Amino acid sequence: MTAMLNLQGVNKIYNPNSRHPVHAVIDLDLAVQPGEIVALLGSSGCGKTSTLRMVAGFEQVSSGSISLAGRDIHTFAPARRNVAMAFEGYSLYPPLTVRENIAFAMKSEKMATADVTARVDEIAQLLDIEDILDRYPTSLSGGQAQRAGLGRALVRKADLYLLDEPMGQLEPQLRAHLRGRIKHFIKERGLTAILVTHDQTEANALADRIAVMEGGVLQQFDTPAQLKDAPANLFTGTFIGEPPMNIFAAQAKSENGQLVFALDQGVDLSYDPTAFPDALQQAILGLGTVTLGVRPHAVQVRDHGAKAQVYAAQWLGDQTHIAAHFAGGSVVSVHHDRVSRAKGEEIGIVIAPQDLHVFDTASGNAVSHGGTLA
Amino acid sequence: MEHTSPLERILRGIALTAVVVFFMFPILWIVLMSLQTNETILRSPPSMVFEPTLSNYQAIISGQLTGNTATLEIKFMGNLLNSIILSVGSVALALLLGVPAAYAFARHKFRGSEDIAFTLLSFRFAPPLLVLLPLTIIFQQIGLADTYIGLIWVYQLICLPLILWIVRGYFEDISPDVEHAYRIAGHSWFATFRHIALPLARPGIAAAGLLAFIFAWNNFIFALVLASADKQPVTVGALAFITASGIQYGQIAAAIVLSIAPTLALALYAQRYLVEGLSLGAVKG
Amino acid sequence: MGGLTITNLTKRFKDTVVLDDLSLEIEEGQTLVLFGPSGAGKTVLLRCIAGAVEPEVGTIQIGGTDMTDVPPEQRGVGMAFQNFALFPHMSAFDNIASPLTAKRATRDTINDGVQAVARLLKIDHVLGHAPKELSNGQKQRTALARALAAQPKLLLLDDPLRNVDAKLRFEMRLELPRLLAEQGATVVYVTQDYKEAMALGDKIAVLVDGKITQVGTPEQVYLRPADLRIAEQFGDPTINLLDVTPEQDDLGMHIRLSEKRVPLPPGYDGTQGQSCVIGIRPEAIRFTEGPNSIEVTIEAETPFNEKTITLCTTFNGREILISRPAGTDAPDEGKARIDIDATNAVLFDRSTGLRIAPQDTATSRSAAA
Repeated sequence: MTAMLNLQGVNKIYNPNSRHPVHAVIDLDLAVQPGEIVALLGSSGCGKTSTLRMVAGFEQVSSGSISLAGRDIHTFAPARRNVAMAFEGYSLYPPLTVRENIAFAMKSEKMATADVTARVDEIAQLLDIEDILDRYPTSLSGGQAQRAGLGRALVRKADLYLLDEPMGQLEPQLRAHLRGRIKHFIKERGLTAILVTHDQTEANALADRIAVMEGGVLQQFDTPAQLKDAPANLFTGTFIGEPPMNIFAAQAKSENGQLVFALDQGVDLSYDPTAFPDALQQAILGLGTVTLGVRPHAVQVRDHGAKAQVYAAQWLGDQTHIAAHFAGGSVVSVHHDRVSRAKGEEIGIVIAPQDLHVFDTASGNAVSHGGTLA
Repeated sequence: MEHTSPLERILRGIALTAVVVFFMFPILWIVLMSLQTNETILRSPPSMVFEPTLSNYQAIISGQLTGNTATLEIKFMGNLLNSIILSVGSVALALLLGVPAAYAFARHKFRGSEDIAFTLLSFRFAPPLLVLLPLTIIFQQIGLADTYIGLIWVYQLICLPLILWIVRGYFEDISPDVEHAYRIAGHSWFATFRHIALPLARPGIAAAGLLAFIFAWNNFIFALVLASADKQPVTVGALAFITASGIQYGQIAAAIVLSIAPTLALALYAQRYLVEGLSLGAVKG
Repeated sequence: MGGLTITNLTKRFKDTVVLDDLSLEIEEGQTLVLFGPSGAGKTVLLRCIAGAVEPEVGTIQIGGTDMTDVPPEQRGVGMAFQNFALFPHMSAFDNIASPLTAKRATRDTINDGVQAVARLLKIDHVLGHAPKELSNGQKQRTALARALAAQPKLLLLDDPLRNVDAKLRFEMRLELPRLLAEQGATVVYVTQDYKEAMALGDKIAVLVDGKITQVGTPEQVYLRPADLRIAEQFGDPTINLLDVTPEQDDLGMHIRLSEKRVPLPPGYDGTQGQSCVIGIRPEAIRFTEGPNSIEVTIEAETPFNEKTITLCTTFNGREILISRPAGTDAPDEGKARIDIDATNAVLFDRSTGLRIAPQDTATSRSAAA
C-alpha cells in the first residue's frame, strides 16, 4: 500500500546561519497510510509542531521531502496542498458567525448552498454546536470556539486533516463523548488525519499509531498498545503511561541459581531463571547495571514480596492509587477497584517477570519486555 | 521567512544604511560645522575637506563670542547649567509625585479615577500659549516669576503626564497576585510598593524619566516667557547667536553639539530601557 | 473553634454576583477542596479569605478570630497562587524567606526556616536561582515553600498544580497530602480537577455560580452527587445520564432502556411515573450476551490509560459510554449487547436536576406495613 503522507529525511533548522541554529526536526521519516489517524506526541519543543507546520506549508523544509497522495507538496503554497487544519488557537474569523466560519471553505469552493447547509448541520450535531451556529466567535467559551474550529476543519474535503491540540480546551464532561464521535467520524469516512498533541490521553484515544518525538528526533512510531507494552527506550517508557512507569536502578547478578536484580537499600528482586531465555539472561548479566521499569497497573500489592511502606492511598472513584516508599525511592501501584491501605502500613511489592521492562542504563535502550528480548 | 537570499540581504543592508544616513546626517553635519570657521562653512560649494578648529568651542566655553566686527559676551555655559538644573529638578519632582500617583491609578479604581488621569494627560495636549499669559501674571504676583522653583513647577505640565501614563502602564503590567503574595506574606502595603512594585516597574520609570528629561531639556516657550537671562536654558540662550552682525553658524553648531550631548549620552546609555518603556507605555498607557 | 468559618459571604463585581451568600466551615487541620468550573468564584473566595479582595457582606473567622476587616498581612495565612506569583527580582531563597523577613526574624532563623522547607520540597539546590532560571516544577515548589515557610495556621492553595506537567502533577498529588499533614495546617485547596479533589480532600465543597451546591467526603460526592452537574464533573469518562421514568411491577421498581427492564436499587418506591434522569457510571456497564441485555451499535473505541472506553448508541439514538479495563474481551465491531448494573446508579429529578435520595429500605418497609 502506498502511503498517503510520506515524510522522507525531513530536517528543520531555524536560523541556519546564525550563531545558534536550532535543529528542530532531525532526519524524520514518517509514512501515514490512507485512512489512518496518526498522533505526533511530545512535550513542547520536541519538534512536533514544526513537523505539522511543514506539512501544512507554513514552514519550509530545510531538507528532505514531503509527499501527499502521490504529489511532492513541500514546495507548494499552503492553499495548494489540499490539507484541512484545525488550529490550537482556534483562529475563527471574528466577523463571521460560527456557521459562516464552518461554511467558509466550502463557499469559496462554490458548493451548492443546500449542500453546504447540510454539511454544516451534520458537523454541528457531531460537535454539539448546533445552538451556537449563529453566534460570533467573541461570544464563545474556549471549549465552544475549539469545537467550532474543529468543525471548520472536518467539514472540508481534503487529502489530509491536521489537528493541532484539538481538544485541550474542551469541557471535561464532553471530552469522552467527543473523542468517540470524532474518531467515528474520521474512521467512517476513511479520512487520513494527523493529530499533534502533548496530551497522551488524547493521542491514545484517537490514534491508530503514535509517533513519539523528543529533541527533534522520532523516538518510536507504533500503536498505542505497543508503546505501552514494548517501549523502545527509557524515554518512551517513562513518557507514555499515566501514571508514569516506575523506574528503579538495579544491578543484575546471578545468585543461587536465581536471576537477581539488586535495588537500592538492599532490596532484591529474584526471578526464576526459567522466566528469562538464556540469551536474554546473558544480555542482562553482561550489562550488569540496568534500569528496571514496571507499569503502575502491573505492580502487585501483597503481604509477601519486597518490603515497602505506604505513604499515600488515594481512591479516585474508578481506581485506587497507592504510593509507597520502596528501595530508596517510591513505587506507585494502580488498581481498578477500591483498595484500602492505611498510611504507614507495611506492604509487599511483587513484580511478575512478564511485567518487567529492562533498559540499558547507559544507552537508555530497551533490553527486554517481560521475558522477550527487545 | 527565515530563508534569506544574498540579494535580500544586500537590499536590506542598503535600506538600513539609507535610514541611518537620513537620520544621522544632520547630526554629523552639525558636528562638522562646529569644527569649522564661519568662512569655511559659508563657502560655495560646501566641502567636506577643511582644517578642523576648536575655536568655536573655545569661544562658547570662555563666553567670548568673536564676530566679524565686534566681540559679544554670552553666557552659554550658564545656560547649560540652567538647563541641567531645570531638567533634573523637574524630572525629580515629577518622579516623586508621578510614580506614587501612577501606582494609585493603576491599582485603585475609584470613582472618577479615569477622569482625573485623563485630565492630567490633557495638559500635554493643550497649547502652552494658552496657559502662559495667565501664568506670567500669577507668577509675577506671587513672586515665582523668574525663579527655578517657578519654572520647575511649570515644567510639571510636560513631565508629570508623561511619567504618570508610562509608569501607570508598567504598574498595571505587574500581576496583582505578585503584590498580594507579598502582602499575604506579612508585609504592609507600603513595603509592598517599595520592595515589589517599584523594583519591577524600574525599567518603565527609567524610560519615563529619560523621556521627561528630554522633553524638559528641549522646552523653549515656557523658559522664553517666564525666565530672565540668568535663568534661561540653552534652548533660549541659543537665540543670542543671532546677532546684529550676522549669524555665527560655527558657534551655533558648537552650542548645539554641547546642548544635545547630555541627552544623547543619556539616551544611548539607557536605550534598552527607552525602547522597552516607550513601546510598553505606548501600547498599555 | 479553630479552622475557618465563613458566614453569609457575598461579593459583587459591578452587577455580577460572584459569591452569593456563601457559608462554609472547615475544621482545624483538615483539608477542604474547593471544586468547581472556571468562573465559579473559587479564586475570589480564596482571595476574600486571604484579604486580597474585600467582600460586601459576611464574615470570615480564622482560628476563631474575626478577620473580615483585618488587612492581609495580619491574617497569618499562607497562599500559593496558580500562576506562582513569584517575585521575579528576588532569588528563590528571598522568595521563600519573605514571610519570615516580615516577622523581623533573625538571619539565622530565616536561614534555618528556608533551608528546612526547601529540603522538604527538594529545592534546596536551586535556592540561589532567580525565578526565571527555575523549571516550572521548581517554580511551583518555590511558591509552595513560600506559602509554608512561616508555618501558617491556614494555608490557601489556588490550583497550584494547574501549570505543571502531567508527570509532576501526578507526583505532587501523591506527595502533597503527606506534606500538608506534616504542617498540621488547615488547608483550602482550589482545583478544577476532580481527581485532585478526591485525592487531596478530607472534604470537597462544590462551588457553582458563587454558591456551594454540595459539601461532603470524596466518597459522598462521587457516589451520591447532589445534582446532575456535580455528577457530570466527577468521573472521567463522564457518567452516563439517561432520561428515564421509573415503573413498578411485581418484581419491584425498574426503568426501561431500549424496552429492556433494568431493576433499580431499593429505596426508590416513591419515584413511580416521575420524570427522572438516571446516572450510570461507565464502569457499571458490561458487554454481555445475557437474556436481558440491550442491543447497541459501537461507534468508536478510545483507549484511555489502562481502560478502554467505548462509545455506543442504543437503537433510539442515545449515546452510552462504557469503560472496561484494557486488555479485556473486545466486542466485535458493529453490534454488541450490554448489561447495566444499576446497583450504584443515581437518580435525579429531571426538572430540578437534584438527586433523589433513596429512602432507607427499613423505613420504607415499615411505611408499607
